[in-house]
Amino acid sequence: MKISLNWLNEYIDLKDVSLDEILDKLTYAGLEVEEVDDQAANFKNIIAGYVVEAKKHPNADKLSLCKVSDGNEEFNVVCGAPNVATGQKIVFAKVGAVIPNGKFKIEKAKIRGEVSSGMICSERELNISENHEGIMVLDPSVKEGTPVSDILGLNDVIMEIAITPNRADALSHIGIARDLSALFNRPLKYPEINLSESDKKSSDLASVEIIDAVNCPRYIGKVVIDVQIKESPEWLKKRIRSIGSRPINNVVDVTNFILHEVGQPLHAFDLDKLSGNKIVVRSAGNDLKFTTLDSKERTLRPEDLMICDSKIPVAIAGVMGGENSEVTQSTKNILIESAFFNPSSVRKTAKQLGLSTDASYRFERGTDPEITVWAAQRAAGLIQETGGGQILSGEIDAYPLKLKRKETGLRFARIDKILGYHIDEKDVMAILERLGFEIKKKTDDGLTAVIPLYRHDVEREIDLIEEIARIYGYNKIPEVSKISVTLEEKVDHSAFVDKVRVVLNSLGFYEIITNSLLSDETANRFGKPVHVLNPQSSEMSHLRPSLLPGMLTTISNNLKVNEKDLQLFETGKTFEKISDSKIESFDDFTETEQLLVALTGNAVRTEWYDKDRQQDIFEMKGFVSSFIEVILPKVEFNFIASEEHSQYLEYCLSIKAAGQEIGYCGMIKKEICSLFDINQDVIVFMSDLNILKQVPVPKKSFKELLKFPKVFRDCAFVLDAGIGSERVIEVIKEHGSNLLHNVKLFDIFQSESLGSGKKSLAFQLEYYDFGGTLTEEEIEKIFTKTIKAVEQKFDAKLRGA
Amino acid sequence: MINRIDETRKSFDEDLLRVNDHASLEELRIKYLGRKGLVSQLFESLKDVSKEDKRVVGQALNQLKIHTQSRFDEVRDSLKNKDDISESIEDLSLSGRTHTIGSRHILTQTLDEIKNIFKGLGFSVYEGPELESDYNNFEALNFAEDHPARDMQDTFFVTDKFLLRTHTSPVQVRLMTDKKPPLRAIMPGKVFRNEAISAKSYCLFHQVEGLYVDTDVTFAELKGTLVAFAKQFYGQDVKYRFRASFFPFTEPSAEMDVWWQPKGKEGRWLEVLGCGMVDPNVLINVGIDPEKYTGYAFGMGVERTAMLKYGIGDIRILFDNDKRFLTQF
Repeated sequence: MKISLNWLNEYIDLKDVSLDEILDKLTYAGLEVEEVDDQAANFKNIIAGYVVEAKKHPNADKLSLCKVSDGNEEFNVVCGAPNVATGQKIVFAKVGAVIPNGKFKIEKAKIRGEVSSGMICSERELNISENHEGIMVLDPSVKEGTPVSDILGLNDVIMEIAITPNRADALSHIGIARDLSALFNRPLKYPEINLSESDKKSSDLASVEIIDAVNCPRYIGKVVIDVQIKESPEWLKKRIRSIGSRPINNVVDVTNFILHEVGQPLHAFDLDKLSGNKIVVRSAGNDLKFTTLDSKERTLRPEDLMICDSKIPVAIAGVMGGENSEVTQSTKNILIESAFFNPSSVRKTAKQLGLSTDASYRFERGTDPEITVWAAQRAAGLIQETGGGQILSGEIDAYPLKLKRKETGLRFARIDKILGYHIDEKDVMAILERLGFEIKKKTDDGLTAVIPLYRHDVEREIDLIEEIARIYGYNKIPEVSKISVTLEEKVDHSAFVDKVRVVLNSLGFYEIITNSLLSDETANRFGKPVHVLNPQSSEMSHLRPSLLPGMLTTISNNLKVNEKDLQLFETGKTFEKISDSKIESFDDFTETEQLLVALTGNAVRTEWYDKDRQQDIFEMKGFVSSFIEVILPKVEFNFIASEEHSQYLEYCLSIKAAGQEIGYCGMIKKEICSLFDINQDVIVFMSDLNILKQVPVPKKSFKELLKFPKVFRDCAFVLDAGIGSERVIEVIKEHGSNLLHNVKLFDIFQSESLGSGKKSLAFQLEYYDFGGTLTEEEIEKIFTKTIKAVEQKFDAKLRGA
Repeated sequence: MINRIDETRKSFDEDLLRVNDHASLEELRIKYLGRKGLVSQLFESLKDVSKEDKRVVGQALNQLKIHTQSRFDEVRDSLKNKDDISESIEDLSLSGRTHTIGSRHILTQTLDEIKNIFKGLGFSVYEGPELESDYNNFEALNFAEDHPARDMQDTFFVTDKFLLRTHTSPVQVRLMTDKKPPLRAIMPGKVFRNEAISAKSYCLFHQVEGLYVDTDVTFAELKGTLVAFAKQFYGQDVKYRFRASFFPFTEPSAEMDVWWQPKGKEGRWLEVLGCGMVDPNVLINVGIDPEKYTGYAFGMGVERTAMLKYGIGDIRILFDNDKRFLTQF
């Protein structure tokens, strides 16, 4: 909202206060000043000057050499304008001034051998018109030294203030002035209204009937007749322009002026266009098409509140007037509407129409039902002042639902309890009174305050405490220097995921965070997604049912910038519908925290010590094993080939621990990769973190260190190539007795020389006994038994035997 | 003779299994494939074989030669790297072998920093769902049904009663409903706003909510706690201010600004968090007596904070996950 400082000065005297102090106080009190346009600052060091003498420049035909006085001192100035002459009052930019047009700084210079200390300006240079024919010549009565901003009337400060939605009362100059009056403890002055009214009454020429009193508790009508519609006077146009609006005609400008003066939206009807000279306030009913004064046809709902004449609607209540009753150049007689509408009703109508006006903005936040009469009188007075005519006496005041001021108590001790700081009673009272609260009962312990009707945000004691605190100044309330720590149980919901991240980092994975919103098509490919009713775009209409699309998009984007070797992970929520029915409770969808780890490209790019190696499933199995060993210490787990997830996995290994699946890994199908323009293998590991988190972990306990030597035995078997190594290891372990502690596969070899369809697997077996040193015989016995078992089980042959 | 060939093959295979470095491979080569190795010796012996057996034995011998040579080559190749290294071991100027350590996303790092400061001040960490009920996100937090305050947060709706949470404040509601005071917790998480994606705004971001409810919690303590945070996070000499503001669920409400002074540019106040005393209506909604208990709450955006701290101008780069970006932090 734009607020003009000159305009504010009509209601509160702040002339002795610096601009910075005003801006700070407003901002601290919750009226945040976002931008400031200090017009006078643009004309700093630019003043009225007197041309004492103007003569031809000795070294240039087209230049003049002038002596310019600022009232105290004379300056040599070289001027190129043809119209400069001795005796003129001109606009003089002194050394140090910044010329508004072009923003260049005036410095002392030598022009064709003559010193020039300043510049005589044209209108264009001052940014006030396009005129650059010659210099701007001022009225001879202007005194030298007067700032040019005063002469031009460009001495206002325009503030852009952000008003929070609770502060409906501050949406006007008087509203801002009221806060300033409390902030500076100075009186607020309402403009006086002295109307000379005719004998005829407003109610003789018009009538008002309110049918829907709930949505229109009060409606004031006031009539002005024989008005001339014309251009507004300069002072009014200036006010309208200062807040960034365009002057239209006196009547429109007056209503606009009052809206910004006191916050009451007004509407002026052409009384002669109102059938039956009557206003009826009712819901739209069957009148569902209506053309507003911007010539647009609007579609209404039957329940939208309308201002009607005796036949048809003439305005959408609180939102916008109608074309059919608009004030035009030929209008003579005017009905001024000054009403109070139910905020929620205006909000619903405006929202439904997608139409927000200065009026609806204020009505939906809540206006002051008590200012309506004053505003109507003020409008009548100004319309007469600017357009003549007669003001009919009195107002038609339809007020079927009388709104009463409410009261609330305030305990002084409660202020201390909330703020942790004592504010003097005297200050408390002054603040409340300056803000318009009437103090009814006051005791040593507290008071009762009557709340003005423009404060829709104040109802309770706590609301008063906020008013007191924000005007007193938050920065004056000292912060505590120590706090007490309560000893209730401390919880950290994020600790597990934090650990997951750190472990993955240590394994060389970078964390990514991707968008939770996907397109319909992508989301549906990876699950049963929940969709958003009002998406920004079709690319982001569904919640992700899986972390995969985000990961694949990330890989794809990285490939485009030639980053091919990636080890990435993401943790985050995924969402799926449980059935096709509408979501009505938390049981109709799942929200789960997932982990997705991905590998792609090369594990190693050729180095002096190593050769190229691509990422593959074994790399992933290794990472997953290390990961689980840290995250779930001492928990046994294994990888089992699975047919699951075949819609996007080429092959899948399910990871089982404690009797359940805790995750799975596999390679993304080529056709899925190609959907994301990925032309290299992507290996993934996925896990539901809630499941992972709940896997029981055995308590850590110390185990005695081995005191006796370990014994190693190697063996290699030739067997069918189709036999999985893990099965062989299982059989070895099964027959290895409790002395066998480890089996390592250390070589795989396949060659025609072994026979077709055969391979050789070489194992190293590790034996030891916590109870003593093992003997050759003991080992040999078990080792031989184990070899036999493998030979029998897999029809294998021990190599080298 | 055939028996000798078979035995040699077997012993070769067995010996080969034990080869694990260049030296043992060389030993093996000398033993079998050297000029005076076992294979050569067998070829030598071929001249003693009878004419009629020569063809069969010769064939077997050739097979042995092929077998031993090819197996030897394989093992030698697999040890090649080790060879390279042992040959170049004297050049200590060679670079070390690389090992990658990944990193947490810069948003996570920033969040962790915030979390650690508050944990040090005795706060717990709670989380809550992102797909929330309208009740928890708005109603319980004192947002009236059709009050313009709802326009402050553009909302993605899933149904008329469910939505993507617009702030982490619903976790407050959950926490206060589940547990009784004293409650002191921060609640980090993802939130969503229905805004067009641009350099300045994204459809989602991360927030950290804070809450403290007990019998004697005051605005002065809220200020003290947040100032302590700002000093740890932005530096002990941070310049700050508190301004009055409006949030439906706190009263009095405030915003905290810190002075931001980029090098060589004009400084300015930047809003870093919103805060206030928990509105009595919120306490009533969760069944806590506002006469007995008071509380404060605050919330800050992680993206904004991280962007400020690391000089990131465009929020979108945070969600592009370009490796060249990820590896910077």
